Amino acid sequence: MIREFGWIDVLYLIAAMRWTLLLTAVAFLGGGAVGLVIAVLRVQPFAPLRWLAVGYVQVVQGTPLLVWLFVFYFGLAIVGLPVLPWIAAALAFSIYGGAFLGEIWRGALQAIPKTQWEAGAALGLGFGEQLRWIIVPQAVRIATPPTVGFLVQLIKNTSLAATIGFVELTREGQLTTASTFRPFAVYMTVAFLYFLLCFPLSQWSHRLERKAHAAG
Amino acid sequence: MPLVEITSVTKRYGSLTVLDDVSLNVEPGEIIAVIGRSGSGKSTLLRCINGLEPIQAGRIVVDGETVGDKATDLRRLRQRVGIVFQSYNLFPHLSVARNITLAPTVTKGMSEAAAREIARDVLQRVGLEDKIDAYPDQLSGGQQQRVAIARSLAMQPKLMLFDEITSALDPELTGEVLKVLEDMARSGMTMILVTHEIGFARRFGSRVVFMHAGRIWEEGRADTTLAAPRTAELETFLGAVLH
Repeated sequence: MIREFGWIDVLYLIAAMRWTLLLTAVAFLGGGAVGLVIAVLRVQPFAPLRWLAVGYVQVVQGTPLLVWLFVFYFGLAIVGLPVLPWIAAALAFSIYGGAFLGEIWRGALQAIPKTQWEAGAALGLGFGEQLRWIIVPQAVRIATPPTVGFLVQLIKNTSLAATIGFVELTREGQLTTASTFRPFAVYMTVAFLYFLLCFPLSQWSHRLERKAHAAG
Repeated sequence: MPLVEITSVTKRYGSLTVLDDVSLNVEPGEIIAVIGRSGSGKSTLLRCINGLEPIQAGRIVVDGETVGDKATDLRRLRQRVGIVFQSYNLFPHLSVARNITLAPTVTKGMSEAAAREIARDVLQRVGLEDKIDAYPDQLSGGQQQRVAIARSLAMQPKLMLFDEITSALDPELTGEVLKVLEDMARSGMTMILVTHEIGFARRFGSRVVFMHAGRIWEEGRADTTLAAPRTAELETFLGAVLH
C-alpha cells in the first residue's frame, strides 16, 4: 500500500542516522587500530614487516569496499560461517579504513625529519620510545586534517552497508521509497542528512589544515 | 685504559669508502679536535662511535663495550655517550625542561621532579636556567645549541661528541657555545669535537686529528701539530681555514 512521504518518514530517516553514525564510529575505531599497526610497520626497521604492510595497503586499496562487504556477508555464510550484517560491515570497514588511515598516518610519521629519530636514539631511547615520545606527538598535528577528511569519506561510504541489509540511513531511504514511491523526495532528504553530518567535518578539516600550515 | 678504542675501522656507502682503515685511541679526560675538509669522513667517524652509523670492518670499543656487537646494548651505551649535532635537533613540541628530562625519565625511570632538578642544574651550567619553561622556537640558535648540550649532559655521559656544533650559528653566537665547551673542558670531560674552530682546538685540544680522504692523515699534540704541519694537505687546509 502506497502512502504519502511525510514528516514521520523524515523522523524515521533521522532516527536511522544513528546507525550510520554508529557504523562510522566502529569503522573508525577498527580502521584506526589496523591503521596504527600498518603505519608503525611501515616505519619500523625490519624490512619484511614493511613489505607486509605495503602488500596489505596495495591489496585493500586495489579492491572495492563493496566486494569486501560481500566477501564477509555472503562469502563467509557459504563456507558455513553465517555472520550478522553488523559484524560483516564492521570487519569490511575496519580492513578498508585500516589501509587508508595507515597510509595517512605513515605519511605523517615520515614527514618528521630523520634527525628527530636520531636525536632520540642518541639519548638512548629505543624505537618504541622514540615513536611514542618524539615522533607521534609531532605527527599527530600533521595527520589530524587528513584524518578528519577521511572520516567524511567513511560516513558516506557506510551507505554501502545498505547492500547487505544493514539498516542505516541509505537503507532506511530505500525502505521509505518502497512504501511511499517518492524516490526523489526521499533520496534528496537522505542526501541532505548526509550533508548535515559531513559538511561541518569538512569545514573543520579545512580549518585544521589552515592552522597547521600557519603554524608549520 | 682508553675510553674509546677505534681499530682499523672501514665504513662504506655502497662503493664509496668514507672511512679507510681508521685507528684512534682516546684516553679519559682527553679533548680531541677532529679537523678536515667536508667529505673527509670526520663527521662519519663521530657518528660511528655511538653506533648511529654501522661500520663494515674494524672495531670500536667504547667504555669497554664493542659498538655494534650483538651482546652490546646500544641503548645503554648511548646513555653514556652524548652527542650534539650541528642542527641542534631539539624536540620542537617539548619545552626546554622536557627536552632535557625526557631521556632520564623514560630510559632511567627517574621521577619528573628529580629529572627537573637535573635539568635546572645542567641549564645553569650552560647559562640558561631562566629558559627552563621556554620552547625551542623561542630561543636563538646559540641558545638552542646550549640547550642541546644541556640535554646531553643531563644523562651524565662519560664521553661527549660534538659534530660541528657551531657551524650553523651566526658568528656572534658561536662565542657563547664555545664558552660552554671551555667550561666542560675544564671540568675534565672527555670530548671529541669535529670542528672548524682552529683557535678552540689549539687552546683546549689535547690532540688534533686531521682527516683527509677517509684516513687520519696527521695527528698529534694540538699546539705543535697546528703550528708545524708535517703534510702538505694539512698545511693547505690550515691555510684555507685561517684566512
